[in-house]
Amino acid sequence: MSERVYWRSTNPDPEFTDREFLEGASEAPEGISRRTMLQLLGASVSLAGLAGCRKPVEAIVPYVDPPEHVIPGIARRYATTIPMGGQAYGVIVESHEGRPTKIEGNPKHPGTLGASSVWLQAQILDLYDPDRSQSVLQKGKEGQAQKTWADFVAAWGEIAKAASANGGADLALLIEPFASPTLARLLAQFQTAYPQAKVVVWEPAGEGDPLQSTTAVGVWSRPAYHLEKAQVVLSLGADLFYSHGNPVVQARAFADGRRMGTPAGEMNRLYVVESSYSITGAKADHRFAVPGTHLPMVIARLVNELGRLGVSVARVDGPEGGEELHWVAAVARDLAAHRGSSLVVGAGLGSIEATINAALGNIGTTVTYHEAKDAAPSSDQAFQGLVAAMKSGSVKTLIVVGANPGYTASVDLAFIENLKKVPQVLHVGMHVDETALLAGWHVPQAHALESWGDCRAADGTLSVMQPLILPLFGGKTTVEVLNLLATGEDRPGYDVVRETWATVLPTDGFEKAWRTVLHDGRLEGSAAPASTPLWADAMMRQGLPMSLSIQALPEGLALLFRLSPAVHDGRFANLSWLQELPDSISKITWDNPLLLSPKTAQDLGVENEDVVEVEANGKKQRFPVWIVPGTADGTLVATLGYGRTAAGRVGNGVGVNAYALRTSQSPWWIPGVKVTKTGDTYTLASTQDHGTMEGRPLIREATLEEYRKEPHFATEMVEVPEVTPLYTSPNKYDIGHQWGMAIDLTACVGCNACTIACQSENNIPVVGKAQVLKGREMHWIRVDRYFSGVHQADPQPRVMFQPVPCMQCENAPCESVCPVAATVHDHEGLNAMVYNRCIGTRYCSNNCPYKVRRFNYFNFTKDTPEILKMANNPDVTVRSRGVMEKCTYCVQRLNRAKIDAKFAGRDLQDGDVETACQQACPAQAISFGDLRDEGSRVVAAKRSDRNYSLLADLNTRARTTYLAGIRNPNPELA
Amino acid sequence: MAQIFPKSANRLPIFLALGGILVPVLATGGIWYYGSPKYTDVGYRPRQPVPYSHKLHVGELGLDCRYCHASVEVSPVANVPPTKACMNCHATVKRDSALLEPIRDSATSGRPMHWVRVHQLPDYAYFEHRSHIRAGVACVTCHGRIDQMEVVTLSQPLSMSWCLDCHRNPAPNLRPPAEVTNMQWTPPKNQAQWAAQTIAERRLAPPTDCSGCHR
Repeated sequence: MSERVYWRSTNPDPEFTDREFLEGASEAPEGISRRTMLQLLGASVSLAGLAGCRKPVEAIVPYVDPPEHVIPGIARRYATTIPMGGQAYGVIVESHEGRPTKIEGNPKHPGTLGASSVWLQAQILDLYDPDRSQSVLQKGKEGQAQKTWADFVAAWGEIAKAASANGGADLALLIEPFASPTLARLLAQFQTAYPQAKVVVWEPAGEGDPLQSTTAVGVWSRPAYHLEKAQVVLSLGADLFYSHGNPVVQARAFADGRRMGTPAGEMNRLYVVESSYSITGAKADHRFAVPGTHLPMVIARLVNELGRLGVSVARVDGPEGGEELHWVAAVARDLAAHRGSSLVVGAGLGSIEATINAALGNIGTTVTYHEAKDAAPSSDQAFQGLVAAMKSGSVKTLIVVGANPGYTASVDLAFIENLKKVPQVLHVGMHVDETALLAGWHVPQAHALESWGDCRAADGTLSVMQPLILPLFGGKTTVEVLNLLATGEDRPGYDVVRETWATVLPTDGFEKAWRTVLHDGRLEGSAAPASTPLWADAMMRQGLPMSLSIQALPEGLALLFRLSPAVHDGRFANLSWLQELPDSISKITWDNPLLLSPKTAQDLGVENEDVVEVEANGKKQRFPVWIVPGTADGTLVATLGYGRTAAGRVGNGVGVNAYALRTSQSPWWIPGVKVTKTGDTYTLASTQDHGTMEGRPLIREATLEEYRKEPHFATEMVEVPEVTPLYTSPNKYDIGHQWGMAIDLTACVGCNACTIACQSENNIPVVGKAQVLKGREMHWIRVDRYFSGVHQADPQPRVMFQPVPCMQCENAPCESVCPVAATVHDHEGLNAMVYNRCIGTRYCSNNCPYKVRRFNYFNFTKDTPEILKMANNPDVTVRSRGVMEKCTYCVQRLNRAKIDAKFAGRDLQDGDVETACQQACPAQAISFGDLRDEGSRVVAAKRSDRNYSLLADLNTRARTTYLAGIRNPNPELA
Repeated sequence: MAQIFPKSANRLPIFLALGGILVPVLATGGIWYYGSPKYTDVGYRPRQPVPYSHKLHVGELGLDCRYCHASVEVSPVANVPPTKACMNCHATVKRDSALLEPIRDSATSGRPMHWVRVHQLPDYAYFEHRSHIRAGVACVTCHGRIDQMEVVTLSQPLSMSWCLDCHRNPAPNLRPPAEVTNMQWTPPKNQAQWAAQTIAERRLAPPTDCSGCHR
C-alpha cells in the first residue's frame, strides 16, 4: 500500500536470495563417487529382486483381555491439564489404543480456549523421549547404580527419622513453581512436619516481582489480561504471545480485538517497547527499540506524562530522556484518552503495571486480579538464600523436585561447587540431567501425561490432570513424591489427588461430580472472583516502588538474556521438533547465536556467523553472531537454554550455554559487557533464504486509514491478467465438498504453533542441522517472516508473518510436470500426493511457485527409536526415502469427519473438521471449510475485501488465500 | 575362400524376427500374469499359532462373524478377537486340547497371541471396514467362503485395480446390510435394479480419488 519494501533475507549476497533452492539441495549425499553409486545400483537391483519375492509377514497382536470402551481403530480423547510456569493449560489428548499421539487445546478450559502452543504440542515428543530417566539411581563408589523405588522409600524413611528430630533444620526442598491444590496441601504438610526446613520455589525464568509474596504458598494476586477489551495496549518488554503470562489466551484475545469484519470495524492498537525483536513486537502498530537499561527512563517519562494529563499517579523523579523518547508523550495521550479500555503490561514489572493500570481505571475491565490460591511463585531471593545456606554447610539434605539448577543456576552462585558441600542430594526429574549426575539419589519423574494431579488456571479455575498412559519408564509423579516427603507414606497419586478433591466437590454425589470434572477438563464455576489488589491503590498515592535513581545510563554494550522460544529455559533441549523449529524472527534452527542490530554489528566489525567472545563480570563465553534488524542498538541478545551437556542425544552440545554469563543480581541484563572478535566463524542454519518468492507482492498490508479509504487495496495491488488456459480441466468443482482455507495476516502472531501441530499430526520427520543447511527441512507449513521498511537499511523495520502451507491450486503447476501422475487432483479440490507412485524426480517441487513441497532426501525415519514411533499418527503414512510430500489439508481428518457424519446420519457441518494448524492457532487466524457451504467461516473470510491470492497472476487458482494485514498506527506518530 | 557363415545362418533373420516379437510378448505376458497379486498373493495361507478352523466354527457351528470380529461395524479395523473371546467357550469346551495350549497360555500369562496377517494391505492404503459393511458389501466379497476354509486363505488379490473395479461399479457387490455376514446369500434376479435404487437412495458414492484411500 504505502511505499514500503519487503524482504525476508538479511543476507547481503543477492545471488543467494534469488535462488529458488539452495546450492547443493539436490546433490547426492557426500562421499559417494559415481563408481560407488553404480556398484550400489547394481547390488540393489540384484538384492531387491530377491527381497521383493514375498511381502513381509506381519503379526496381528490382539488384546488378551480387552479394556472397556477401547475399540481398535477408533481414537479416544481425554481431557487433562499440562502445567507450565505456574500456568495451567487444559488440553484434550488423542489416544490410539492407549497410546497418546496428539495434543489439542480444550475449548472449555480458560487456559487454552481450544488452542495450543509449540510447547504444548511438543509434550507428545517429551513423553516418548527415549533419553528420559529409566530407573531410580543411587550414587556409590562406582558411579550411579540402579535401585528401586522401594529402596528410595526406605532411604527416605531413614532421612525423615533423623530430620524430624530437629524439625528438619538441615533439610531443604527445591521445587518448581506450581498452582495446584494437592501440591499446595502436601507442601503445607511438609512444612508442618519439618517446620525448620527450607522450602524454595524457583525456576530460572520466574517473573520475579517483589510484591508477589515471599512465602512459598501465600496469598497473592495474579493478573489475568483481557486484551479483547483493550483498545490501546502498551507492552513494556513483555512478550505477550510467547512467554509472558498465558500466551495462548492472550494471543486469542488480542486477535479478537483486531478482527474487523468490514472497513468500518474498530481495532485495537498495540505499542511495544522492547530491545530484542519478539513476535509481540512484530504485531505492534508502533514498536520502539529501546535498550532495556533505558526502560526505567521510559517508565518515568510515561508516568509523569500521564500525571500531566490528569491521571492520578504520583510523580517519579529521575531522568526522563531526551528527544529520542518524544513518542512517549503520544503514547501517554493515547492511554489517557482510553481510560478503562487501555492496558499496560510489563515484563517482571507486576507492581508498576498494576499501579499504572489502576490509575488509568483499567483494573476490573482490561485486567483483573485473582487471588492466586494454592500457588507457589518462583523466588530468586529464596533460591539465593538456599545457595548461601548450602555454602555455609547448614543444609545436610537437599531435595530437588523437577528443577535442574545444576544447569540453570546463575554462574555467580557457583551452584555446583556448593552442591558438593551438601552431604545428601535427592533429585527427582525426567532426565538424568546436570543436577541428577551430582545427586546421591535420583528418582525418575513421571510426565504430565502420565500423572494424576491438579492445577489452577490464572483465573483460579480448577482442573484435574489425568494420566493417558502408565509411566513409561516407571516414573513417579510429583504428587506421589511430595506425598512421600510430607507424610512418609507411599500412596498412589490417584488416592492423594482424590483426597484433595473430597474437600472441593460435594460429598453428596462426589463420584458423579469428579467424573464430570475429568470429562470436561475443568470444574465449572471455580474461577476466583476478581479482586482489586489493595497495594495497587496504596501505590497510586505513594508513588512507584521502583528505584529510578539511575542518574547516568550505563555506557557501552548491554547483554540481554531471553528465554528460548524453542527450548524454553533448556528443559525442552532434547526435543528435536523444537530444535529444528525456525525462530520466529531470526529463522535460526539448532542454535542460539548472539543477536544484534546491523549498526552494532558494524560498530563491532562483525558479520553473520562471526564468533565473538563476550566478557561480563569476569566470565567469558564465545557466541556466533546473527544480525537482526530492529534489535536495539548497543544490545546483545543471548538466548538461554542451549549448550546443555546432559540433555540427551538431541540436545547435548547444541548451541552455547548463556547461563555461563548470567548473574543473580541482574538476571536479565548485564550492562557494560566487553565483546572481542575472535576471527573464527561458525555456520548457522537459518531458513530465511529457503523457498524464497521474494520481490513479488506477497505480503499485502495497509493502515486502518488506508483500508477505510480503499477497501479493495489487496486485490487492486496487482493486476491479474484475464487468461484462458490452453488446457481446461474437466473438473468444475461444483459438486460435493470443495475445501478451502483463508489465513488472516492481521491475526497471525507468528508463534509457530501451526508448524509443530502439523508436524505432530502428519508424522513429519526431523532432518538435523546439516540437512537444514541444504534447505531440506520438512515442515509442511512454514511461517515466512518479512521485514519491511522504507528501504532495506531501515533501522526500524516492521515484521509481518505469513504462514505458507500448500495452496492446493486448482490449476496446480506441480501436477502437469509429474511424469508418473503421483500428484493429482481429487474432486474436492485437494491436490493429492500419492506417495506410492512417486519416483522422486522433484519436477513438481521445481515447478511449484510457492515452494511448499518437501522431499525425503533420506529415509529420515529409519533410525527412529522404537519408543518414538509411538508418537506417530496411525492415520497418516510414514514416508520413505525418495518421496515428495506436502500439506494435504489433513485429508485423514476430512475422511474421518465425512465417514463419522455419514454414520451419524447427517451432512457434514461447518466446524466438523478442523485442520491441525487451524486447531492449534491461538489467534484463530486460519479458517478452513467447505467453499460451497455459504454459511461457513471460510466463506465468510473469503468474502472479506482483504482476501487475496498469492501469485494470482500465475492463474493457479489457489484454494488457500490470505486476508491482508491491517495495522492501526497512531496518526500522531505516523 | 571359405564361407564365414554356414548355410543354416540363412534362417537367423527369421529367428531374430520371431524372437523379437515372441520374447517381449512372453516377457510382458509373464510379468503381467506371474507378477500380479492374482498369482503372487491369492492362495496365501500361512500357518497360524493355533489351527483355528473357520470351517468348524462358522460353517458347522454357525458362529456369526461379529461374535469375534466385533468392531467391524463401528471401526475401520475389524479386530482379531482377544484371547478372552476364545476362552469364553474354551474355558469349558475342549479344555484339555493340546492344540489350544497357546490360547490357555496366553490367557494365564497375559501375553498376547501373535496371529499371522493374511489380508494385508500396504501401509499407505487406508481401508475402512465399517463403511463397507454399512454400504452393504458382504464379508464374503473380499474374504471368500470363510465358512468353508479349514485354514484362512487369501481368496482375492486385494490389488488396487480390484478395489477400483468395485468402487467404479459397486452394484454387483451390494446387498441388504442385514445379509452382509450371510455366506450363502445369492443375488436376486433384479439385483441390478435394486442396487441402482439403493445407490441413489442411500447416496452411496465410493471414492475413486487417490485421497479416498491414500493419506
